[in-house]
Amino acid sequence: MMSLEQFKSRYVGSQNYKLIEIEEYPTTPWGKFKRVVKRTFKTELFVGLKIVFMEMVRFNIHTIQYPKEKLPIGARYRAIHKLLRLLESGNERCIGCGLCEKICIAKCIRIDTKIDENGRKVPTEYTINFGRCIFCGYCAEVCPELAIVHGPDYENASDQRAHFALKEDMLTPIDKLKEQKEYPGFGAPTPEADRLIKKTPLAY
Amino acid sequence: MIKFYIDGREVTAKKGETILQVARREGIYIPTMCYLPKVKPIESCRLCVVEVEGVEGFVLSCQTPPTPDIKVKTNSAELFTHRQNIMKLYDVNHPLECGVCDKSGECDLQNKTLEFMVNSQEFTAKDQNRKIKDWNYIQYDPSLCILCEKCVHVCNEVIGDDAIEIEYGGYKSQIIPKDAPTLECTFCGECIAVCPVGALISKDFQYSANAWELRRVPAACAHCSAACHLYYEIKHASIDNPEPKIYRVKNEYEFANLCGAGRFGFDFENKAVKDENAFNNALKAFKKADTIKFNSIITNEEALILQKLKEKFGFKLINNEAKAYQKFLKKYSEFSGRTLYSADLEDIKNSDFIIIFGTMVATDNPAVRYAMTVSNRKRNSEIINFHPMEDELLKNVVTKFVRYEVGTEEGVMAMLANALLSKEDKENIDKEWFEDLDIGYLSAESNVGEEEIEDVLKRLTRKRRVRAKRSTLILGEDLYTHPRAENIARLAGLIDRFTDFDVMIIPPRTNTLGVSLICDLDEEEGEFVIGYNTEGDFVLSALGDGDLDMPALNQQEGTFTNIDKRVVPTNVALPYEGYVLNDIARALGVSDKEYTIEFTKELPKEKGFKAIDFDELPNYFTNAGQEERGYILESNKVAISRERVEEIEELPEFNGIVVYRCEPVLQFNPFTAKTHQLNFSSELVGSKQFSIAAKLKDGDEVVIKTSFGEIKRVFRIDTSLKGTIGLLETFDMGLSYFDILSDYRYQVIKIEKASGQ
Ligand code: SF4
Ligand code: SF4
Ligand code: SF4
Ligand code: SF4
Ligand code: SF4
Ligand code: FES
Repeated sequence: MMSLEQFKSRYVGSQNYKLIEIEEYPTTPWGKFKRVVKRTFKTELFVGLKIVFMEMVRFNIHTIQYPKEKLPIGARYRAIHKLLRLLESGNERCIGCGLCEKICIAKCIRIDTKIDENGRKVPTEYTINFGRCIFCGYCAEVCPELAIVHGPDYENASDQRAHFALKEDMLTPIDKLKEQKEYPGFGAPTPEADRLIKKTPLAY
Repeated sequence: MIKFYIDGREVTAKKGETILQVARREGIYIPTMCYLPKVKPIESCRLCVVEVEGVEGFVLSCQTPPTPDIKVKTNSAELFTHRQNIMKLYDVNHPLECGVCDKSGECDLQNKTLEFMVNSQEFTAKDQNRKIKDWNYIQYDPSLCILCEKCVHVCNEVIGDDAIEIEYGGYKSQIIPKDAPTLECTFCGECIAVCPVGALISKDFQYSANAWELRRVPAACAHCSAACHLYYEIKHASIDNPEPKIYRVKNEYEFANLCGAGRFGFDFENKAVKDENAFNNALKAFKKADTIKFNSIITNEEALILQKLKEKFGFKLINNEAKAYQKFLKKYSEFSGRTLYSADLEDIKNSDFIIIFGTMVATDNPAVRYAMTVSNRKRNSEIINFHPMEDELLKNVVTKFVRYEVGTEEGVMAMLANALLSKEDKENIDKEWFEDLDIGYLSAESNVGEEEIEDVLKRLTRKRRVRAKRSTLILGEDLYTHPRAENIARLAGLIDRFTDFDVMIIPPRTNTLGVSLICDLDEEEGEFVIGYNTEGDFVLSALGDGDLDMPALNQQEGTFTNIDKRVVPTNVALPYEGYVLNDIARALGVSDKEYTIEFTKELPKEKGFKAIDFDELPNYFTNAGQEERGYILESNKVAISRERVEEIEELPEFNGIVVYRCEPVLQFNPFTAKTHQLNFSSELVGSKQFSIAAKLKDGDEVVIKTSFGEIKRVFRIDTSLKGTIGLLETFDMGLSYFDILSDYRYQVIKIEKASGQ
């Protein structure tokens, strides 16, 4: 069995995958005919039906009762965006660098920035036009602060395209700060990050 | 011409050119951090090193002229490592704040750090506590500063303020205001422009947009006759407001300059929609009117439309300020033999001897001041300023100040002509006239001692002995409105024709030169006046306070004729929804053009304009710094007038409280006054001495009785001023500002304290 750790790792190339032997496809008409006869009389169909029947009488059912039940969503799933806060201070993570705005291939992000009382750059407004967003994930990947990320909420039907699109819709509410989860998807530090980084020498 | 090789390519250098200059001209890349073509090589970065075959070690290309046949290599493994190490050193303790830095995306440090693949750091230094400085329009962050010194050099060698310097202290070094606790300068913002990193930035712009989001519109500054090249940078106003907005102005800082008005005074647009009612009223007014009154802050094309309206309907065209200039220029050309004056800004930069006469040039036309600074720094030129008031802003460049009494300009010009023209010339021109000249009287009345004129001549001879290149006589606005302007112009024409002096007659407003060439101007107003950006019975206004709105100059495309006698294009930075002058001309059957710029190729050829389409006009600088903007007017030959120079009239005296109409730094007219960064109001400014004579205290509110009526001002003492002449600022007077420009700039006034004090 594959461990969860392995499953999550994006370093596909370095893992041990088992290759499955696949029979060659027949190319001649005779070969194709032989395959049809073989499949018809080898009762493979009944093997399948048997399994289904057995599971049914055992009540070991594999479908879920959506929307009452929901499957956990993969870490790299890309649904409606979230704007995160810093866990310690509760400050907004977004520094208004505008990289997401720049990289967005649908050109659907817009940010207004200004200088605040503390002399810092702050985004005063942040919008994504979800009527145009193609959920490519570039914005989350480019964000140096991991401020704009994709959330797991895929249930975003609405009668207005403009919904979910403002800063207040996406930003973690300050009272829900404790519930904010770190984003593990595209753009997040890789498990190797610590190993790969080189330290800058410092003089004190 | 020196032939040599860069990376195997044969190139030639002109005398005095450095390897880097040749490389740039030829489009060969050599990285630099501290090189700024418009100042002398700074030599602080050492990134520009190259290898020369047969020469031990590296050579600094920015300061080394080539010798014949050398073989220069701009790239090698050693050069790369050397440059990479320099970039690593620059990166030591450099804050990791590209994410918010205004310079990000156009930062030399960012670009070259990537270019030289700095992905690790071996060097360290103990970091310092460096505080951000707030300098009015400018913010300085010493932790981002790489001490390239470009800002210091541009301020000293081009602008002439010499307001900043390096405070040396090893790793603690930083830029500080020179001899002052905080920065007090003319705020041209050139230091912001040349700073390769985000250390010097515009406070107004800070954190409002990123470099890559802004759309650049190449244009010409609309505030004075230099019509400097600039870019308006545009983006939507905000998420809720998709209307475009100008966020800042930038320039080709490597070769050209801007003053603070051009850089910070950009949002003077007039928002308007098509108001059909007002338009119909305008057409009715045009039917009724017999006069169009206007000013020179318009494009050449608009001037041509006005001229066409005159030709069809017989309107009188009134623009007294341009009329005065036109007359001056005409008399000048009848005596010099050329339609246009001879000097341009490039000539001033290359002059060794400059006489400037009749202008407060640092505020009248900053570009002329910068050109003089360049000549003084580069060629160590002699600059003699003739004026009734010493200008504090010119203290770093003027080598001799000659004060004359207000009103005696004609006498001073006669003394100058008498001194500069040779004996033979004088005999040929008008022996009798020069013999009749009573220098003793002129000297006594104008207060310009004969020995002072002699000293000027001595300096000229001294200069000629070392380097007999170029001399320039610069004439300014005080002279055109002088009652004896035409005689002054005659003498100027003679100086141009007979001496080696080139003459510049500074056009006083943005497009005065263009207007005076394109329009036949009248002197007497008629009964019913249409005012275009001036007062009138029906007012078309780009200031937004008239009967019909007009586009401001950042909302128009067209051309200006600038001080360099160059027809330069400008473009639309912000949209304009209302009616334009061409719409009126179309409705009146004078124009069949859809767009105003279709008139560009129809500007009068006989005045030196060329039949070139607007869209064909170039608007850029070459790699070598050559200005390719529009085209230069043809200066044609004129038959020399048989007229004699008139006898010098008795020199007038100005007794009482005298003021000089003069705008402060950063202001030119109601358009600059309207912009959000330059939104301050005009004052009456005087020296301590003036305040005593006028019995005024700092901060007094006064009512001034002037030739153009009563105006209110707050009085302020300026300790840097000397003498008894006050400065009367008028830039925020709205439309009526343009009415007062044709008065002589000095006048005797009556001052009363405002009631309620
Ligand atoms: S997911 Fe892609 S399209 Fe959507 S906002 Fe981000 S970058 Fe733009
Ligand atoms: S990339 Fe991240 S930090 Fe930068 S503006 Fe976008 S959300 Fe903000
Ligand atoms: S100055 Fe340049 S390198 Fe430094 S933070 Fe700003 S953009 Fe980045
Ligand atoms: S402020 Fe900018 S231009 Fe001036 S020395 Fe520092 S980096 Fe150079
Ligand atoms: S006001 Fe004159 S000198 Fe200043 S930027 Fe404009 S054109 Fe140039
Ligand atoms: S460009 Fe030559 S030393 Fe900086």
